[in-house]
Amino acid sequence: MKLEGTHELRAPRERVFAALLDREVLMRCIPGCERLEQTGEHTFAATLRAGVGAIKGVFQGNVRLEDIRAPDHYRIVVDGKGQPGFLKGTGDLDLTERDGLTVIKYTGDAQVGGTIAGVGQRMIQGAAKMMAAQFFTALEAEAQAAHEEQPPPQHNFFRLALRWLSGRLRRIFNRQA
Amino acid sequence: MIPTQFDYVAPTTLAEAVSLLAEHKDDAKILAGGHSLIPAMKLRLAQPQLLIDIGRIKDLSYVREEAGHLRIGAMTTHYELESSARVREICPLLSACAGSIGDVQVRNRGTIGGSLAHADPAADWPAAILALDAELVATSASGERTIKATDFFVDMLTTALAPGEILREIRVPLAQTHASQAYFKLPHPASGFAVVGVAVNLTRQNGACSAIGVGITGVAVKAYRATGVEQSLNGQTLDEQTIGAAALHAADGVEINADLFASADYRRHLAQVYTRRAIMAAAK
Repeated sequence: MKLEGTHELRAPRERVFAALLDREVLMRCIPGCERLEQTGEHTFAATLRAGVGAIKGVFQGNVRLEDIRAPDHYRIVVDGKGQPGFLKGTGDLDLTERDGLTVIKYTGDAQVGGTIAGVGQRMIQGAAKMMAAQFFTALEAEAQAAHEEQPPPQHNFFRLALRWLSGRLRRIFNRQA
Repeated sequence: MIPTQFDYVAPTTLAEAVSLLAEHKDDAKILAGGHSLIPAMKLRLAQPQLLIDIGRIKDLSYVREEAGHLRIGAMTTHYELESSARVREICPLLSACAGSIGDVQVRNRGTIGGSLAHADPAADWPAAILALDAELVATSASGERTIKATDFFVDMLTTALAPGEILREIRVPLAQTHASQAYFKLPHPASGFAVVGVAVNLTRQNGACSAIGVGITGVAVKAYRATGVEQSLNGQTLDEQTIGAAALHAADGVEINADLFASADYRRHLAQVYTRRAIMAAAK
């Protein structure tokens, strides 16, 4: 199964790339991620409670990051299995800058097998896209938050408070959207 | 094919069901007809700790005409809607849609409320409910609220229902139901789910289209209103050419599903063809 898509993030590219390499941030952003342990420089062991609506399953797996070229590219290699089936895949993430936005283009190829592939085939692609959208929305919020924690000194308290509030609102709004 | 262990309760009032749901939240699932939930549980794709069976609650299964609306209880089965002569007369789209679901066993157990709350991206009801501009009534511990059909479907298998809410009733406005209606679908040969399903609710004045609702299911992650089609038909005289041209907008602005059975391009094509056929049938 081929997967591809583009997401625009309102955050600087360096911050987005840094967030994409940060274990803590990834753990917060990956939908349903319950465990993400660093097992090597760029390898992780993960537990994922993934799914949509009532349909959920727990997956255990390994994640490896390859071909890291900050701040514009890396490849992610995933290999996991769980009660609902198994998943193997690779994905390339390319980051470009456009009008102050970070554009992330992802292309991937995944093999899904087991129960989930047998009965859920017609929904897998949609579910994957939905989870990708959730991931990038959360990542955008994280990259923006990281950005806001270190404000330039000329901001006074009120502007800071206002910024914080608008960031919060935007995040809440994004989450609901 | 054996589900994980779960508890089962069968409350006899809606208030009881709502308070059980408020107490157990995400650990609990509401059991309506069970024709999506139980198979998912048997495959262990869904593993709720508690099933709250709302089948013993009186007065959740009905079809009533009231104040310009057709009020349908959430536990009304597909078959009850399919076989009601009155429904066929005043809102034939509901009968046509009900009759096209799965097989007779599914229709005899499955419910309209269960199907809508499950929000399968290829279920039939969402298309009809959208085309008819229906409203959905949800009950929770904190009261009741009405959700418009266009706001109800949020994403794949995801609705606007909050964790503590139960879908109680579907309200279909009858003002426009002198309209001509049609439901056309290409069923998946194995599951009967819509590869593409198009519901049309058309009102005419002096031979021209004065209002039209087009709901499409199976094409995207959720059912949607084909607003492009609707806009290009509003106020137009309905002939083969206008309808054909309008139908080309059936999948505008939607990200189209692809699976082993139908690629995105094939689905787009089917959406256009079935939209044209459904509107032609309604306009006859």
